[in-house]
Amino acid sequence: MIRVSHLNKSYNHPDLILKDISFEVKRGEFVYLVGPSGAGKTTLFRLLFADLKPDSGQVVVDGLDLMQARPARIAKLRRRMGMVFQDYKLIPNYTVFDNVALALEVAGTPRKLIQKAVWQVLKVVGIERQLERLPPQLSGGEQQRVAIARALVNDPQIILADEPTGNLDYEITEEIMNIFKYINSQGATVVMVTHNRALLQRFKRKVFYLDKGSLQTYVWPD
Amino acid sequence: MKDIKLMAKIYDHLFPLFKLTGNNIRRHPVINLISILIITISLLLLILYFLGYSNAARLVSAWRTDLRIVVYLDEKIDEERMASLQNYCRELDEVVRFIYISRDQALKNFKVTLGDDANFLEGLPDNPLPASLELFLDEKVVDVEAVERLARQLRRQVGVDEVVYGSSWLRQLFSLLKTVKYFGFLFAAFLSGVTVFVVASTIRLSLFARRETIRVLHLVGATPGFIALPYLFEGVFQGSAASFLALGLAYGGFRYFKGWLQLQVPHWPVVLQLKFFSPLPLLLFLLMGTFLGIAGFLLSTRWIRQD
Repeated sequence: MIRVSHLNKSYNHPDLILKDISFEVKRGEFVYLVGPSGAGKTTLFRLLFADLKPDSGQVVVDGLDLMQARPARIAKLRRRMGMVFQDYKLIPNYTVFDNVALALEVAGTPRKLIQKAVWQVLKVVGIERQLERLPPQLSGGEQQRVAIARALVNDPQIILADEPTGNLDYEITEEIMNIFKYINSQGATVVMVTHNRALLQRFKRKVFYLDKGSLQTYVWPD
Repeated sequence: MKDIKLMAKIYDHLFPLFKLTGNNIRRHPVINLISILIITISLLLLILYFLGYSNAARLVSAWRTDLRIVVYLDEKIDEERMASLQNYCRELDEVVRFIYISRDQALKNFKVTLGDDANFLEGLPDNPLPASLELFLDEKVVDVEAVERLARQLRRQVGVDEVVYGSSWLRQLFSLLKTVKYFGFLFAAFLSGVTVFVVASTIRLSLFARRETIRVLHLVGATPGFIALPYLFEGVFQGSAASFLALGLAYGGFRYFKGWLQLQVPHWPVVLQLKFFSPLPLLLFLLMGTFLGIAGFLLSTRWIRQD
């Protein structure tokens, strides 16, 4: 589903942020991308949806080589992906409904289907009663649920999540992780960036550990 | 059924774009208002300039219908030569019609012109006035060079003593109108440039204010076209609104000025000849506003690409 080969990224700095990174995530897998602060997790995360260009190497997502693809193809790929960010990336003056509906609107989904789909996904994340509220009127946990709802509403094959529980307390983290587990159980491939080691213990999945620009893979013993 | 489905599909694609456009305009009313006002002022100046020019051109054109060349004939011209000269004049493209004024007729006309002072002509031993041909020119084909060329041509004909036309005032009139016309185009180009720059700047301001929204749109898979189109619509909206406003203001101002002029000089026929634009120039001005809006959008997206 995701194949990364010999990826290098430096931001024009003599020390490489990412050095010859290669890994593969299979369809339906749930993997963590972990590492200390400044290890390059977010850089690698952004390379996975062509938000950054590498210095060299290749990223292929769902058969599309992101380095070669035109902007329109990348836009179409992103519609098949769901992305969740630590800072939520919600539009503050759009209601919860509009924020979630946006992901369907850009894909040209019929209005009738949008209403139904948004309602359903908000129900999955447990925030259907906040439909008409604006993001600043919601708590951090609620905003993250809206962001997750927006990532799920297109029924994506791939979910990329950057520290989705970074700002949240224990209980809400549990709820959010349960949502991700549920999505994964429905067949979606999930790549989650985190620095929360406790999370890895509670929800054991394959781990890509990134440190000083290099990547190592850990698989929990059965 | 197929058509309805197609319409529904188009609606589904356009609805979010119009929604985003509406949001842009609603959430940045001050930027939009300033932009519309500046375009309105630019267009208003342009409209007033061309309104003045078109009315001046109409008045001049009315005067031009009086354009004539007087060909004074040689005293000794015989009938055969006179007939051939008249035939020559008849075949000239620039000449609409001509009349022959005999020496006696010229004297009569002169007496009418002199009125009470005509008595002194009685003392003359002979009629001093020559016969002439008065040529009325076609305003559509005549410009100042054509009149001069025609006069030279006529002067070369056998039997012609002198050719007279209002050369100096004619030259001045034509050159003035030409200057006004060319200056008008320069003025239009300058104001258009300013307007495009203003629209582009306001769209850019709007883009800057909405950079987070644009980022989110990119992340959820919006194509560059989907992101840019609401700004195109915004430019079109600003240009069209300003066009309507400028034309409305110009029309109101024109009616007021004409009414005021009629009160000041009630019997001046020129006032009645003053007219507002016909539908075609009106449409052109409306399209011009829209075009300026689109040009502003294109310039701002050029900046986006540069960013």
